[in-house]
Amino acid sequence: MDRTQIAPPIKAPLASLPAQTPPSRLARGRVDGGPLLARLRRPWSDRLANLALGTTSLLTCLTVGAMVALVAVRAWPTLTHNGLAWLGSGGEVDRQIEGMVATSNHPSASAYHVRAWPLLYGTLLSTGLALAVAVPFSLLSSIFIVEFAPKLVRKVISLLVRLLASVPSVIYGLVGIMVLVPFVGNHLVTIPEKRSLIGTVELTGASVGVAALILAVMITPIMVALISDALAAVPNAWREGALALGVHKLRATLAVSLRAIRPAIVAATALACARALGEAVMISMVSGSTSFAPNISHGPLTFLAEPVRTFASSIVDNHEGFGGAPALDSTLYSFALLLLFSAIVLSIGAYLIKLPLRRYQAVR
Amino acid sequence: MQPTRRVAALLAATFTLSITLPAVALASSTLSISGATASFPLVSLLTQRYAKLNKKVKFKLSQGGTQVGINEVAAGRVSVADVSRDPLPADPAGLVFYPIAKYYLCVVTNKSNPLANLTQAQVEAIFTGKVTEWRGVPGASANGPIDVISRNAAAGTLSNFQTLLIGGKKVSGPKGAPIAEKPSEGLQRQAIEKDPNAIGFLSGYFASQGVNDVGFGGVGCTLANADSGQYAGVARFYEVTKGKAKGAAASFINWIDSSRSAKQIISTQWIALK
Repeated sequence: MDRTQIAPPIKAPLASLPAQTPPSRLARGRVDGGPLLARLRRPWSDRLANLALGTTSLLTCLTVGAMVALVAVRAWPTLTHNGLAWLGSGGEVDRQIEGMVATSNHPSASAYHVRAWPLLYGTLLSTGLALAVAVPFSLLSSIFIVEFAPKLVRKVISLLVRLLASVPSVIYGLVGIMVLVPFVGNHLVTIPEKRSLIGTVELTGASVGVAALILAVMITPIMVALISDALAAVPNAWREGALALGVHKLRATLAVSLRAIRPAIVAATALACARALGEAVMISMVSGSTSFAPNISHGPLTFLAEPVRTFASSIVDNHEGFGGAPALDSTLYSFALLLLFSAIVLSIGAYLIKLPLRRYQAVR
Repeated sequence: MQPTRRVAALLAATFTLSITLPAVALASSTLSISGATASFPLVSLLTQRYAKLNKKVKFKLSQGGTQVGINEVAAGRVSVADVSRDPLPADPAGLVFYPIAKYYLCVVTNKSNPLANLTQAQVEAIFTGKVTEWRGVPGASANGPIDVISRNAAAGTLSNFQTLLIGGKKVSGPKGAPIAEKPSEGLQRQAIEKDPNAIGFLSGYFASQGVNDVGFGGVGCTLANADSGQYAGVARFYEVTKGKAKGAAASFINWIDSSRSAKQIISTQWIALK
């Protein structure tokens, strides 16, 4: 799609400018005064708007920059004392963090000792499981909403989806802790299962499975909203072209529409992934908040019933000690830095993946 | 142009008001308190009564745990901290602890497992992971493995439970395996309420509903037994200030210490200091 074809003729906006700035003056400014002079000659209200809007966008950039800088500076002691082994395994990270609460105001190098592998594993595991459920589910339901549902159904469902997307995460956490966790603990986890893990970990129902399931419920509406918007924007002519060749509707959707919106699918997945990585309160409530690394060799169902702790929920769970011990502060900041870093990697990664897909793109 | 200007003026006015109004409100004295979730119900009752008697004082009350209170008062972010454990050597220097009441800690189980009594040795064995099955506990009607539901390290009730009821040992799972640690008393009780195999510890106020409280060493975990001194698990709530309490904080703490209405509130669920 060529942008110039859709754009209105160049003259139209100039003609609608107020009388005191004839088009010729604007044009002349650019030629003999250079761009700076031209900007000065623009009407005062335009310059004001430019300045005001520019300041707000600049503020956004400054906030992001300042935040990354602050977190990085505060995380630095932990990173330098642990090196890359910071992300390795060794000992119990819960005990290591708890021990920091009681360290002094001038901690020795050993106070910073932390091995965060179980947290990294927990974060990746809960996010990965949630995405594995949410991506196919949201793809299929967006296809239904846009291509197959009757108009009324479509309107009702998309309204509900948008509502679901705006529910605060703590509400999902409450439902999880009141309903799902006791259900899993009392009905799905069996006594032999519990017994087999005595001395390893306690199975109470608060688990990586429940956390991933609720995460999936939380991120699906966002993905459905984004993907169905993109699907709806695929030009009708493309669909009709496929249908005219005699393929049935599902085939046309999969071959044409879905292919055309691949960048949107990547973007939606990246956004959902970022939300899942950063979710703290809900996970802290339903995951058991134990830095245990679930082990698939215990059997797939037991594996899902094992507790877990993520970086974000670890920050929430330990905020009680915050501001008291520099070693603890720095460690929590290092978790925050990793989360910030992964958010940045995600958005850049999604952008890079989208690039080669753009030639199929229907909508920008 | 006109409507946009009006909107802009309105926005500017709202902005100015939102900045100046709170500043005006601050003119009467506000006492900010944060800290222990265990003493929160008591402190909230006390502040309500005090605010009625003394219209000039307003309270800003928040929870978070003993350690939050300690850190915030030491950093000067709040004027008073609620604390549910005795002072520790690691506490920041310069804090003054004012005891305001005594409370008791109960060992609790799920309602469906109405265990009547445990000896100190039994409690110690369960909470340090030496006994892992309910069938190893005489009098228990639950079966299967024991789920120990504990609090996070910053909790004052955990530190008191360890000193008072399990002889200074650390709460842990079998062979040091991780156990469930909840960030507040409410969540700890909720987990025990929902899990028939659970055991944990709660302050008397939280243990009084929804769960079964277990006697300790032959003495029932009740307010009367705690009051008479027979029950072992009795600890103190403190109000903590940075340096000696001054101004509104001092008069509030004095009022708790000396007034009859404060003592009345305390003795409903807690134990007044004599």
